[in-house]
Amino acid sequence: MFDLFLQFVVNGLVNGTFYALSALGLTLIFGLMRLVNFAHGEFYMMGGILGWVATDRLSMDFFTGLVAVVAVMALFGWLLDRYLIVRVRDKGPEPGILLTIGLAIFLTNTALMLVGTAPHKVAAPVSSGPILLGPVIITEVRVFAIAVSVAAIVGARLLIQKTKLGRAMRATFQDPTAASLVGINTASIYASTFALGTALAATSGMLLGSIYVAQASIGGLISLKAFVVVILGGMGNFAGAILGGLILGVAESLWGGYVQTGTVDMVGFALVILILFFRPYGLFSVRAERA
Amino acid sequence: MKKTAMAAALLAGFVSMAAQAADTIKIGLIQPLTGSVAYNGEADVNGSKIAVKERNAKGGVLGKQIELVIEDGECQPAKTVSAAEKLIQKDKVPVLSGAFCSSATIAAMSVAQKYKVPLLSGVSSKSDLTERGNEWFFRSAETDGLLARAFAKILVEQLDLKKIAYIGVNDDWGRGGISEFSSQIEALGGESVQKLYFDHGTTDFYTMLTRVRASKPDGVFVAAETQDGSILVKQMKEIGLQSKIFGVGSWATADFANLAGEAAEGIHAAVPYAHTIDRPENKRFVEEYKKAYGELPGKYSAAGYNALNILMDAIERAGEADPDKIRKALAETDYHGPNGSFKFNAKRQAYGFDAVLVRLTKGQPEIVAKATVTADE
Repeated sequence: MFDLFLQFVVNGLVNGTFYALSALGLTLIFGLMRLVNFAHGEFYMMGGILGWVATDRLSMDFFTGLVAVVAVMALFGWLLDRYLIVRVRDKGPEPGILLTIGLAIFLTNTALMLVGTAPHKVAAPVSSGPILLGPVIITEVRVFAIAVSVAAIVGARLLIQKTKLGRAMRATFQDPTAASLVGINTASIYASTFALGTALAATSGMLLGSIYVAQASIGGLISLKAFVVVILGGMGNFAGAILGGLILGVAESLWGGYVQTGTVDMVGFALVILILFFRPYGLFSVRAERA
Repeated sequence: MKKTAMAAALLAGFVSMAAQAADTIKIGLIQPLTGSVAYNGEADVNGSKIAVKERNAKGGVLGKQIELVIEDGECQPAKTVSAAEKLIQKDKVPVLSGAFCSSATIAAMSVAQKYKVPLLSGVSSKSDLTERGNEWFFRSAETDGLLARAFAKILVEQLDLKKIAYIGVNDDWGRGGISEFSSQIEALGGESVQKLYFDHGTTDFYTMLTRVRASKPDGVFVAAETQDGSILVKQMKEIGLQSKIFGVGSWATADFANLAGEAAEGIHAAVPYAHTIDRPENKRFVEEYKKAYGELPGKYSAAGYNALNILMDAIERAGEADPDKIRKALAETDYHGPNGSFKFNAKRQAYGFDAVLVRLTKGQPEIVAKATVTADE
């Protein structure tokens, strides 16, 4: 009985790590830019599809492919910000929401046109053979994916907290006018942030494409789950997104394990409704108002 | 003078439009082209196109070329209704093929009845569709019950199954398949230990499979399509589930074998069509399909191909593209397709065609048993 419980918790933590990684780009862009990005799931999808192109079509190994995909997607994010997002900056939330919804539709249908509806596989660098930890089963490729997720999360955190670019980012979003007065090129800071968020989404898309499959029409589902995670943790809260991801993963796993598997997707939304009732700024937000 | 010229031009325009309309016979096709089952909807469209291409190359129907008008129903009732309305009102199609998901087909059936246009579904398998007394609706697909009745006994005996766990996608088709198979298998003495459902697009099945493993079944029955099914069987192997796997869905395809890899080895699937069926009609179809799309046809490609051929035969027999005459001609269908012959019973449900039980061996569906689908009484 206890063995079963352990397996459910481990399943939940593994999924939770993946949820956290796939929500990180969304919370970053919202927290630093105040832009609600509805095309987030489509960036994830592009990461998966490009990962398939790199590892399958171009026969790259996983890591070379990952570097290439991250580079392409970061550039794509940068260009999107410089040519599209810039037009809705400082115009309130609605134009940004409409723009990203439109972008999401455009990206999904372009992907459908180019690669079709079939699911694709990203070649993983390690085998999917099982590892036994006492009574608990996990696979090599999952351990690997968790390691990459943790590395990506820590890397993004360090970038924002410790580097000059990160300091410039935080300065720009606290007060753009003051930041540009002290010589920060705010336009390029916005673009870098958007590029970082896009690259994080693509990383998770490619990584999870190696465990599951990459598919052109997956974006909407990913966006939904990412929004649940971000609302749980508090919009824009970095550590909150990670905890939110883990909570969602474990809650879904325990619900599926002990209650009913067919209603697992309900769990996240039930949590969101409860959170919005009792802690509208998220479980882990320290301030009760937006910065 | 100017006015006359314009009127003449307009008139010429109308005449040429009318001439164009008279040159082709339109058939409306509604399939999901976006959303979670788009992959399967596209297979149906590809099969349909092959049927039309073959027929047009032979001179078409009643001396006219067939024109396929395709709309996206997204597997959703509301979208499917607007697609059907558009095809009937704007494109003036005399006959419709389609809707993939049973819930969407039910919605389209009422539109077909309202405008008195025949609708043929080659895919929707929910048993009660043909029990609704809608005389404009025909079905050239097997129902869940028909497949279960044909194969439950063979499965239980061949695989020596006593305790069985059931996993299915959480919709009409998945729940229908599980209830039909479990009641047939229980009648033969099999015990159902678990019945679990998941939603379309689920990627992680570890929690569900942990539960299944804990109940130690001899066999696991799975009702899932290519995408969900391939991930599911892969994770079954990862988590160390040793039970025999069998199921229904589009499993006898090259894509499934490719995505699931070694995990697909030895799986049994009850399907109405496999590209390894040994019939001259099928060999021709497989060859045409491979030439056009560079891949082997699956269950839904054959469903689209059969549906369109049945409709074109009916138009031919009707003598003109008139909905009511086509409906009457459809009832007299006697069509020989890649997977056997199709006739309709009084409830407009097709029967007489083959269904096969396949075992996936090295990525190829090897046929282990064959049964003829008889009509529901």
